[in-house]
Amino acid sequence: MEFVRPDSIEAAVAALQAEGAACLAGGATLVAMMNADLVAPERLVSLRDVAALREASRRPDGTVVIGAMRRHRETAEETDLRDGQRVLREAAAQIANPPVRNMGTIGGSCAFADPAADYPPALVAADARFALAGAEGRRTVPAGDFFRDWYETALEPGELIESVILPPAPAGTVGSYTKLARVAGDFAIASVALALGMDGGACTHLAVAVGACGPVPARRRDIEAELLGGPLGNAEIGRLTDALAEAFDPVDDVRASAGYRRRVAPRMVRQAIGEAMQKLGETQ
Amino acid sequence: MKIADSFVVAAPVERTWRAIRDPQVVGACLPGCEEIEAVSPTLYRARIGVKLGPIAAKFAAEVEVLEEEPPVRVVTVTRGEEGGRASNLRSDNILTLAPADDGGTRVSYEADMTVTGRLGKFGFGVMKKKAQSLASEFAGNLEARVNEAASGG
Amino acid sequence: MTGEPVTLPVTLRVNGAERPVAAVAPWTTLLTVLRDELGLTGAKRGCNQGVCGACTVMIDGEPVRSCLSLALNCTGRDIVTVEGLAPAGALAPVQQALAEGNAVQCGFCTPGILISAHALLRRNAPLSVDEVRAGLSGNLCRCSGYKKIVEAIVRASEARP
Repeated sequence: MEFVRPDSIEAAVAALQAEGAACLAGGATLVAMMNADLVAPERLVSLRDVAALREASRRPDGTVVIGAMRRHRETAEETDLRDGQRVLREAAAQIANPPVRNMGTIGGSCAFADPAADYPPALVAADARFALAGAEGRRTVPAGDFFRDWYETALEPGELIESVILPPAPAGTVGSYTKLARVAGDFAIASVALALGMDGGACTHLAVAVGACGPVPARRRDIEAELLGGPLGNAEIGRLTDALAEAFDPVDDVRASAGYRRRVAPRMVRQAIGEAMQKLGETQ
Repeated sequence: MKIADSFVVAAPVERTWRAIRDPQVVGACLPGCEEIEAVSPTLYRARIGVKLGPIAAKFAAEVEVLEEEPPVRVVTVTRGEEGGRASNLRSDNILTLAPADDGGTRVSYEADMTVTGRLGKFGFGVMKKKAQSLASEFAGNLEARVNEAASGG
Repeated sequence: MTGEPVTLPVTLRVNGAERPVAAVAPWTTLLTVLRDELGLTGAKRGCNQGVCGACTVMIDGEPVRSCLSLALNCTGRDIVTVEGLAPAGALAPVQQALAEGNAVQCGFCTPGILISAHALLRRNAPLSVDEVRAGLSGNLCRCSGYKKIVEAIVRASEARP
């Protein structure tokens, strides 16, 4: 095993081209897996000194770019994330505990793609894109396509995450992230990432992604599109939760059974939408 | 952990049985199977690679046929060990064949697996999903193979 | 591990002192270097998975897991262990508060708790029970002696000038 610490994205990508190379971001997952003898990369490419990956910025149009090495604590406090984009702040604030939030990064967490992690549903609900850099150049991938399967992403060997890009959220929308877990900071039993806008009883913006209920976040854009422009009552929310349930493929594990996840997730969606409507001053 | 499922191939029971009892056919259909050899008509050795996200494992596996009732039922046990990495797996498997509609064959399988050692630290929940997806990939490959043979390809 | 490990010499700044270590393998954690090379056994190896918090140290002023920090990634950083809270042998206020509050049972989690509490107390405002609990949520006490620990830290936050 060898250890390298490049100081630019180009040098990091070059170092990653070796067989068996892996990025070391915050270490919160990779080092834990190394300690457990689950992985043993032949080359560790530490991204610590790549300054560009540590930055976050807001463009004049409201797009927010978050460098892959931004830590959970920083993202939880990111005032550039506004309106519906706040779903990501709320997700970051609920990851693990303070020392782990001081280490773990958004790029590292997303590259590992734990199906019960907090960022994937939040980024899918925020319509975020991943900016990736590799030997062939740069590309962006929508969050909905980035997460592919259990612990699998669109990252090709030799490619790294440069940043996540959140499009502007319509003014007046709210973003929220609700997690059900055994204790605060544990991986989710189920989670709901939501961005919602309402105007005079009519839905103007709706994005709901459910985490920890399948290999990738569940989202039904088709039903969301049909619900735009109308009220969000029991019947409408029921249509959405029924459709979401078709996309669920939950595991049985120490946190909860698959059956429990199927039962609780639709109720969490209903509750999250109800709470968001209250914040918006709308009645259900 | 237990997995069970069934699938239909468009070939009669006899031909499906021959495919399933041919180690080269099984080896070619099994995802991650790098080589397979018949030690005897009831004992096979194989090298199988499995990947789950960043975790990769290579097992030296032995498949032993414990009971068989041609052409409808075979009971096997698979034992695998991961070289020096101290992981072991065992899977008790039952495969049954029955005539399906249109002259096809319904293949049903049940497997009861245990994984110990370093890989046992990884949650069983996702491992079961992975095992199910490997099994359905195997089923798809076998189906394609038998159908190809049926059409003279 | 395949291939020859490439070990590197490394100098870490621990509790204000430059501490050279002759050969560190890429997978060696800060915790291992602190305990096995530098003789600083305050930080404990509990789960080695980042869950229990017994290994918590401060890097650049923030509590982090030393078991999840690779030593080669810590050069140029300011590392403070529990030993660094009382450099002259006199207890820091947070240590005094835990001692006076009998907030120690077996003591295994205490070094990590002290580091997390130290970071909390830097806010220089009285802390509520909830704030302390949230701040210590990454530190497990297998004796489940949380009540006295939390009370001691709340008192320490109120006692400051």
